[in-house]
Amino acid sequence: MTNLPPADENAENWIAEAVREHQAPLHRYVARLLGGDFDRARDVVQDGFVRLCQQPAAEVRGHAVEWLYTVCRNRAVDVMRKEGRMRAFADGEMENVSAIDPRPGRAMEKAETRAAIIELIDQLPANQQEVIRLKFQNGFSYKEISRITKLSVSNVGYLIHMAVKQLRQQVAAQQI
Amino acid sequence: MSDTKINPDDPRLTAYALGELEGEAEALVEAAIAADPNLAAEVENIRAMAGDLADALGEEALPEVEPVELFEPEGKRIEFPLGHRKRRRFPYYWVSGLAAAGFAVLIVFQSAESPIAGREGVAGPAATAASQAGQSVVASTPESERTRTPLRVEIALPEAGVSGPALVDASIAPAAVVTDESAELSRFEVDESGDDRAGSSERVLSADHIVQLEAAQQPDAGLSALPEGLSATRPLSIDSPGLSRDNGQHVAQFGTVLRMQNDIQTGNEEQVIELSPFTVASVSDRAYASNAASAPALRSRFTARSMTTVETEGYAAIEEHGWMQVAHAPLSTFGVDVDSASYANVRRFLLNGNLPPMDAVKVEELVNAFTYDYAEPSPGAETPLRANLEVASAPWAPQHRLVRIGLKARETTAAGRAPANLVFLLDVSGSMHSPQKLPLVKEAMRLLVGQLREDDRVAIVTYAGQSGLALPSTPVRDGHTIRRALDALRPGGSTHGSSGIHLAYDVAKANFVEGGVNRVILCTDGDFNVGTTGLTELKNLVAEKAKSDVFLTALGFGTGNYQDDTLETLANRGNGQHGYIDSVREARRLLVEQVSGTLETVARDVKIQVEFNPAQVQAYRLIGYNNRRLAAEDFNDDAIDAGEIGAGHTVTALYEVVPSGAPRPASPGGTIDALRYQTLDPPEVRPDHAHELLVVKLRAQPPEGGASRLHEFPLVDAGRSFAQASPDFKFAAAVAGFGLRLRERSESAYYSYTDVRHWAEAGITIDPGGYRAELLALVRRANELSQM
Repeated sequence: MTNLPPADENAENWIAEAVREHQAPLHRYVARLLGGDFDRARDVVQDGFVRLCQQPAAEVRGHAVEWLYTVCRNRAVDVMRKEGRMRAFADGEMENVSAIDPRPGRAMEKAETRAAIIELIDQLPANQQEVIRLKFQNGFSYKEISRITKLSVSNVGYLIHMAVKQLRQQVAAQQI
Repeated sequence: MSDTKINPDDPRLTAYALGELEGEAEALVEAAIAADPNLAAEVENIRAMAGDLADALGEEALPEVEPVELFEPEGKRIEFPLGHRKRRRFPYYWVSGLAAAGFAVLIVFQSAESPIAGREGVAGPAATAASQAGQSVVASTPESERTRTPLRVEIALPEAGVSGPALVDASIAPAAVVTDESAELSRFEVDESGDDRAGSSERVLSADHIVQLEAAQQPDAGLSALPEGLSATRPLSIDSPGLSRDNGQHVAQFGTVLRMQNDIQTGNEEQVIELSPFTVASVSDRAYASNAASAPALRSRFTARSMTTVETEGYAAIEEHGWMQVAHAPLSTFGVDVDSASYANVRRFLLNGNLPPMDAVKVEELVNAFTYDYAEPSPGAETPLRANLEVASAPWAPQHRLVRIGLKARETTAAGRAPANLVFLLDVSGSMHSPQKLPLVKEAMRLLVGQLREDDRVAIVTYAGQSGLALPSTPVRDGHTIRRALDALRPGGSTHGSSGIHLAYDVAKANFVEGGVNRVILCTDGDFNVGTTGLTELKNLVAEKAKSDVFLTALGFGTGNYQDDTLETLANRGNGQHGYIDSVREARRLLVEQVSGTLETVARDVKIQVEFNPAQVQAYRLIGYNNRRLAAEDFNDDAIDAGEIGAGHTVTALYEVVPSGAPRPASPGGTIDALRYQTLDPPEVRPDHAHELLVVKLRAQPPEGGASRLHEFPLVDAGRSFAQASPDFKFAAAVAGFGLRLRERSESAYYSYTDVRHWAEAGITIDPGGYRAELLALVRRANELSQM
């Protein structure tokens, strides 16, 4: 591959920083998009970081994380289209990741509560799941989510509002 | 909707709560909230939910990542430290450091074995660095690369030798990696609070550390033992279904002993692996971190983990009782059991895709989970119970006779029942919050309340961090009050069973109905996990209260940490039933269809003693009831506790009998020598009873207590074949056969699940409620699972 050295000589540092901070969460996010395919997600994420290195630093400086999510999301969507598996989220795989680990006492209760919430999230429509995860798992603002997903800010706000409302009702019904 | 008006369902409210608004929009919402406390409350609720979401999602397992490697044009490699790692629940980290260690070793191993041109760039730095560091690389290559003969490589790895795993070709992988380095112990510990595994593995594999590697050239012989910190007691999970026992030989043995729970295919077998003082890692060729990682490998690891979930459920070991020789033991005595918890539990296991653990299968509870059409005691009869005896060939051993003892208790109608004073003792601890638990408990209690009369009373006691009276004793005519109290229950806090039980008994006592049904109904997953509550203490308490005629019914819910033995013991001591409720359907069966039996006891301490005729019977075995056996002299001792029978209940017990003259069955416990002084062959039998096969003696106390009464029911064998038996008999035999088969997993079992299904099908002609058909599905399921 032909790589352009980053313009900034501190490039290694900030990219390294980005990798350390965001590789695993990004990997998880992409794996969700790919229906729980962590292997494929790894390739996509690797590819994303490679592309990040190829970017002139000035281009991405300041919003590198958002840039990474956007690039990886596009790549993931491509993969899904190409392989004709547009199921946004597969059942099973992620549920297992978040399955309850039996432990005594409070830790277990917390874990169970979390697992129950994850389960409810998994039942949301795919687009709501994605924005909920970007908001509450990856910590993006409405605006950033809007740029990553190509949805309008008000659309993002609406989806999050609907999802939170739905989850609140279900949590109340289940007395989590 | 105008901009100046905000209703509680406005997306702007959510945006505001999440801090997404600014400027004018923010001020607008702020003003609206200041004016309307409802909106303020809504914002609080949204923020609470947001906090829960961030918490739940933040704790969701992060995938294992390898450091991304990027190359600059000059070939200078940029290495990045490993990803930001929060506390993870998924035990990838077990393998993590070792996987990386495996890679590091692997690279050198490859270069030592066959420095492939295309890989030299990868392996190069390690080898080069190794030689630079002046360390020797020793490799003994196996005679044939295709054999499974372990390949032993001894190598010293300098720190620089750790190469990026992303470039590792995993097609040749070590089946086991043993790093023999005690000094670096702490480096290998995996810290849940956020350790960087690659970093630690690099440190471990730094200069002068000898790495021994034994590799099998067998891509599928994957075995991965994951070090869990240094804990040598917790079961480890194994990540490959391809684990075969002979993999054990690839794992070197050192000092400490680690017990590893084996994988799905080898069942519950434990593999004991001795470890060096710190760690052994075996990296499968499909280890997640490798390029060849695949979905199957991932899934199997998940499966292995879900298997370990099972292990936290508690089951007392069941001691099987084998064949008894009539000559030595003509009497067989046991206390009845109308519990059916084991059936629902077995069903749960099978529907979840696992064969149940052996000790979760109680054959008598399986048999008694079904009702049979036995004749009731004749009206006006002195006894509340009637024994229905039947004998025919045992379907699994036609030369043996199968004797069925079917007890039927008198039916009572709701109107004729004594008034009830019930206290629901509900576990609302955090462990109960899953959908199969508290919501199901509430539904079950609603069903039960629906069966009660207006003059019955219900109180609700909850227990969690502290116990509380959620509902004082309330007449059922105020049904809505009871239902509202049920609806209002929320889970929270940890379990403290005993203080809740105290309170429940106090409430029951305060509202005691003389001559009525006074009962505490305990609903829990049995996870009494706080405080110093000893089981003995609880048992004594419950037994003590039973003497004051407040009985206990224990209903188990949920999965995962379900404590079967605790609940059964408590129910037995409390003169009550023990049920396991896994669905609304089961709740309906137990609490609606059998409500009179659950509520009203018609006979207490019901014991059965069977005396076999030595002229006709050579040996016998009681099927199931393994924890209900009594000594012969206990039968007439009213102080000895036994099971209670509720109105309309049926109880079924089966004996397999070897007639005189048939081949003697092999007894697992060894044989008894012929007696020196007594001649047993031919035995002397009273001529007036010589034609009988056996006699069933039944003892029961009246529900209000007092002296027990004895009833005798002799049985004459008419020599019927299994085909001639009644449908009830066939079905009970099939259920027993199913249970025995589930307990006896070995290939040598002499009948198949298909046989069981045929027997059950023959008995399904009567199927009130459709419950028998379900057994067929379970048998089919068990058959599939046993062949996996």
